[in-house]
Amino acid sequence: MKDNQKKAWLFLAPAIICVTVFSIWPILRAFTMSFQGGPLIDLQFNGLSNYQYIFSDPEFWRAIMNTAIYSFLAVPIALIISVVLAWFIFSKIKHTAFFETMFFMPYVTSTIAIGIVFRYIFNGEYGLLNFLLKLVHLPQPDWLDNPSLSLVSLIIFGIWSSLAFNIVILMGALRNIEPNYYVLADMYGATSREKFWRITVPQLVPTLAFLLTVNLIGAFKIYTQVYALFNGQAGVGNSAMTAVYYIYNKFQIVGTPGVAMAATVVLFLFILFVTFLQRKLMKKVNS
Amino acid sequence: MKFTKKFAAVAVAALALVGTTACSNSKSNDSSSSKSADIPTKITKKTTVVFWHGMTGTQEKTLQSLTKDFEKKNPNITVKLENQGKYNDLQAKINSTLQSPNNLPTITQAYPGWLLNAANSKRLVDMTPYINNSKIGWGSAKKSDIREELLKGAQIKGTQYGIPFNKSVEMLTYNKNLLDKYGVKVPKTMSELKAASKKIYEKSNHKVVGAGFDSLSNYYVLGMKDEGVNFSKNINFTGSKSKKVINYYADGIKAGYFKTAGSAGYLSGDFSNQKIAMFVGTSAGEGFVKMGVGNKFQYGVAPRPSKYNMQQGTDIYMFNKGTAEQKAAAFMYIKYLLGKNQQLTWADKTGYIPVTNNVINSSAYKNSTKSKVPAQLDKAMKNLYSVPVVKNSNAAYTQLNSIMQNIFAQAKKGQSWNSQIDAGKTKFQSAWNQ
Repeated sequence: MKDNQKKAWLFLAPAIICVTVFSIWPILRAFTMSFQGGPLIDLQFNGLSNYQYIFSDPEFWRAIMNTAIYSFLAVPIALIISVVLAWFIFSKIKHTAFFETMFFMPYVTSTIAIGIVFRYIFNGEYGLLNFLLKLVHLPQPDWLDNPSLSLVSLIIFGIWSSLAFNIVILMGALRNIEPNYYVLADMYGATSREKFWRITVPQLVPTLAFLLTVNLIGAFKIYTQVYALFNGQAGVGNSAMTAVYYIYNKFQIVGTPGVAMAATVVLFLFILFVTFLQRKLMKKVNS
Repeated sequence: MKFTKKFAAVAVAALALVGTTACSNSKSNDSSSSKSADIPTKITKKTTVVFWHGMTGTQEKTLQSLTKDFEKKNPNITVKLENQGKYNDLQAKINSTLQSPNNLPTITQAYPGWLLNAANSKRLVDMTPYINNSKIGWGSAKKSDIREELLKGAQIKGTQYGIPFNKSVEMLTYNKNLLDKYGVKVPKTMSELKAASKKIYEKSNHKVVGAGFDSLSNYYVLGMKDEGVNFSKNINFTGSKSKKVINYYADGIKAGYFKTAGSAGYLSGDFSNQKIAMFVGTSAGEGFVKMGVGNKFQYGVAPRPSKYNMQQGTDIYMFNKGTAEQKAAAFMYIKYLLGKNQQLTWADKTGYIPVTNNVINSSAYKNSTKSKVPAQLDKAMKNLYSVPVVKNSNAAYTQLNSIMQNIFAQAKKGQSWNSQIDAGKTKFQSAWNQ
């Protein structure tokens, strides 16, 4: 058994220091701050009252509910659509490079800018979407100003904006599938449906698992989309309040960092739990 | 080998040091409250004043040109204007920078409610010695000629930390052509507003909504104040007076003659598209109304049809950092902004109200051809009210907006909103109690 070389510490030092200062320290600080009250410049220990506060605050529960609904709906739907689109671009369409670039464009565009465009599309009175719905004689709901629809609009927006990244990653995965599998399948007379389900999908599982994890964690942390879509507020009547929006609002606007950090700790545990479940699930699928 | 070991140790120590200094909160500059004796009355050295603000568009341009004029007259002073985004962003920026006071600006625009913590921990400069200084200031608060309620509104716990600057009140903006067409007089009371709105809505075959309020928080706070209830923790949200205020608006929304701004934030868009005949909004929004209306129709401005009116908009506050020269220079700048000509330009270009009596009552202001606010301002400012600066009042005031939105959304669907009033009570209290 050889000892680790001492010199290694020297080379690790920059990374260790950065991680400690910018990742581990904030986590510990958030944890201690969740037991403190008062403004940021004068924090005092106040026990569990921040936790008591958030658990009795209806807005907090709404934020958690909205975040969960958003994550568990938008992520799977976006993934399915991405797989379908990526498969189409990969196998059925010429000029793949052009379409790949097209689909990647939203990823490099600022969310705020996209949000402003979507605000025009979704506008209840002058919006493009309702104009189209009117043409086909469907009801035209008030997408942005009806509190019960805020989350639906947000999910549509979220799905649309996560397609870009997913498709590009999936295209890469599709290209990596050994082409000889398909050649062999053709030799034995497999239908295209069989090829998709028996070859393509199983080969994509590791990539899908990766995307699911990344998207899910991203969805739990949704903030910018809400800000952009609802013009700087969390939807009419805070109907699209999400966990991170709640945290930001309590920390920066209301000026109760302790409450914000208590919510952060709860969200952290929640994400940890979901990621843990997901890993278990993936292990089962892989075996 | 030895050398590398030593080097490693030194490197680690150095890096660790960098890490800790980056995180440490320097707590200097807490002391030294200015007494009038230490206020320099002349700026002889090059001095830079940093001013954080949330002004955009015409407002920002006007501020820039006023600042340039000031710098020309005071060549030793440079005023660095730093835009920090919307009011919300400015508030967040101040809140987070309070931790590292060295990064704070010399002066900032702010609502007093944002700075309660800063005042408690003595991060703000009491302006009284500056106001009373006869060279840098005016000699006394009275001599400053600043309107009393406005000056009082810039106090935090009785101390004059702020000087009012870009203030506004709420006004009723109406579409004159539509009102004439339907034979409706400009409403002077809330019940007249209701009757007028109903008439317009019915006579236009439900095409034009009568009226709406931009700020739902203001609507509730002023509605309650008119009922004789001050904005405080003790408001009974489900009480009869509160319900009366809520129902007045909700009934109108259910019947269709009132509406809210929704996610657009302001009603001026609907107003210029003639979808709404009247709305109550800030006087500082006149520029947007004018731009939207163009030559489509004639608009008019009248006092808010209620007894009380909200004085809103920010004041200028000074942080307790920097040299005595910087503070004195900053105060000279503030005083300059409140000068007669500057106030006239500011009010004329932006729609904000002048803060000195002299300008409010001047004929040059009242006869302004660019703005319709001045002629009505005196009447509109008879009874001014502002949200009291106590712990969490700002949070509760903001929360009111979302509570009202929920109630009115229910009314818009034609469903009973009582359950939303109950839910609102919980949220209102939870905002006060954090």
